[in-house]
Amino acid sequence: MAGPSWLAWIFASVMIATSGYCLIRLAASWRRHRPTDHHVDATHVLMGVAMAGMLVPRLRVFWTGGWEVVFAVGAAWFGWLAIREFRGQPTMGGRPGHHLQHVLACGAMLYMFLAVATVAKGAAGGSAMGGMAAGGAHFPTLALVLAAALIGYTVWTADRLSSLAPVAALAARSAPVPVLAGAVAGGGAGLADAGGQGAGSTPHGDGQAPAAPGRQVPLSPRLAACCEIAMGVTMGYMLILML
Amino acid sequence: MASQAAGAGTRAGWRRSTGVAYEERWTAPDVRRRLQLALAGVWLLDAVLQFQAFMFSKGFSQMLGGTAAGNPAVIADPINWSAKIIAEHGTATNAIFAFIQLAIGLGIAWRPTLKLALGASIAWALGVWWFGEGLGGVLSGAGGPANGAPGAVIIYALLAVLLWPGRRDRAAPFAAGQFTGPNMARALWLVLWGSLACLALLPATRAPKALGGMVSAMASGQPGWLSSTDNNLGAFLTSHGPAVAVVLAIVLALVAVSVCLSRPAARAGVVLAIVIAAFLWVTEGLGGMLTGGGTDPNSGPLLALLAVAYWPLASALPATAQHDLVATAQPVSPEGA
Repeated sequence: MAGPSWLAWIFASVMIATSGYCLIRLAASWRRHRPTDHHVDATHVLMGVAMAGMLVPRLRVFWTGGWEVVFAVGAAWFGWLAIREFRGQPTMGGRPGHHLQHVLACGAMLYMFLAVATVAKGAAGGSAMGGMAAGGAHFPTLALVLAAALIGYTVWTADRLSSLAPVAALAARSAPVPVLAGAVAGGGAGLADAGGQGAGSTPHGDGQAPAAPGRQVPLSPRLAACCEIAMGVTMGYMLILML
Repeated sequence: MASQAAGAGTRAGWRRSTGVAYEERWTAPDVRRRLQLALAGVWLLDAVLQFQAFMFSKGFSQMLGGTAAGNPAVIADPINWSAKIIAEHGTATNAIFAFIQLAIGLGIAWRPTLKLALGASIAWALGVWWFGEGLGGVLSGAGGPANGAPGAVIIYALLAVLLWPGRRDRAAPFAAGQFTGPNMARALWLVLWGSLACLALLPATRAPKALGGMVSAMASGQPGWLSSTDNNLGAFLTSHGPAVAVVLAIVLALVAVSVCLSRPAARAGVVLAIVIAAFLWVTEGLGGMLTGGGTDPNSGPLLALLAVAYWPLASALPATAQHDLVATAQPVSPEGA
């Protein structure tokens, strides 16, 4: 028996909103050169769309088997990053353990799609979550373990939420880039360029060029964490629905 | 970290993702904070379990109404009244229950709302203990350790009290004693495990075939490995139930007094408590979570979490005056909680 349809729509709406926000983050990062974790944001875009499609079948996109490939690749990618982190090699950022969290999330998505595909074969014509919930998933113990692990990461992320710096604080810490007086006379060469100043920018009288507004200010880490929390709860709900 | 972010940001191109942690003053959680986070995780699990389809059906209200049986009228009548309301407005009421539990879980995990969420969890747990669990079957005589008595939800409330982040912590040899003080914490432990020992001697557990029948009934609807485990255990308990109940009572009594003894004995008692909790969780069928109809993980994991809170630490926790837990621009104490 599937959950209420209105509840599925609520979770799907949250996932679509999350996915849309992460897409905006990627666009803003590209246009305004503001740092963000692109791998995570891109993964969240895909996960949000995929989960919305699982919760509400009419929102489903992608061909059969497509999402399995996407999340298998995602799990492998973040797994590789996690291994590099474990070995002390550079991993393109991310806090310790963050990659492992996304390995788990991609793995859970892969499990859900494979489980739905298996049950749907026996319940022809059923909707994704409905058929899956009615027939039960294979390895329900694995679903429960995945749900518990994802809930654990959600709790951990929520614990760190209040310590993430707000954008205003990060912006205040973006110091103007110091420039050599002679180097700037020709129109913003050298360190001024390194600081992201366009040609022809006028330095201050103290020899410091004004920082490009928002140029080095990262996109909101707090909202990124909220996206992870929303996805963790939704994924936990979907896994429990499979029991 | 900030300098790395600034340095990374100066590199050309948007393709370089910095992914640098923009955290400031995050204090790694100490023992008590980790226990709070574990409690938050259990509440979140409770919330997603409450979203299951069964909880929106008539079966949920019927299950709640069934807890009134055997209780005095002053206890049973409100239970029947609430079950009737839930039956008439199942969708709305269950959605409210689930979102309340979700808010409690996230509230405990998010440091600024810790106290508010813990307080709300105590009030909610007490209400559910009455209206949802019929006081755990304690007054009806139907409760026993193997079926969750004295009620899993009351352990949520107990944990919330023991793990409360007070402004002034007392010196204690274990995390559970920081707020209430070690003596009060030991008294609460004694009451809980002592009551479990008494419940194990009641007819609901000690009668012939009672324990075996209870465990075998849990096998229905479970995955193969758990179903066979419960069936085999049930068959064993059917023929040895009374003796096992007495042994269980003795072991529970030993656990109850262990916290009052020396550190090695206390540690042995905590380990025994965790083993007993795991055994009870299996007899409870893991709370029925794998059947699609479990409302919560039941008492097993909570008893284990409680036991961990009483683990005697290598060095006693000192008495301190704690700042608020929130990591703000103000300096925070080294401890996370």
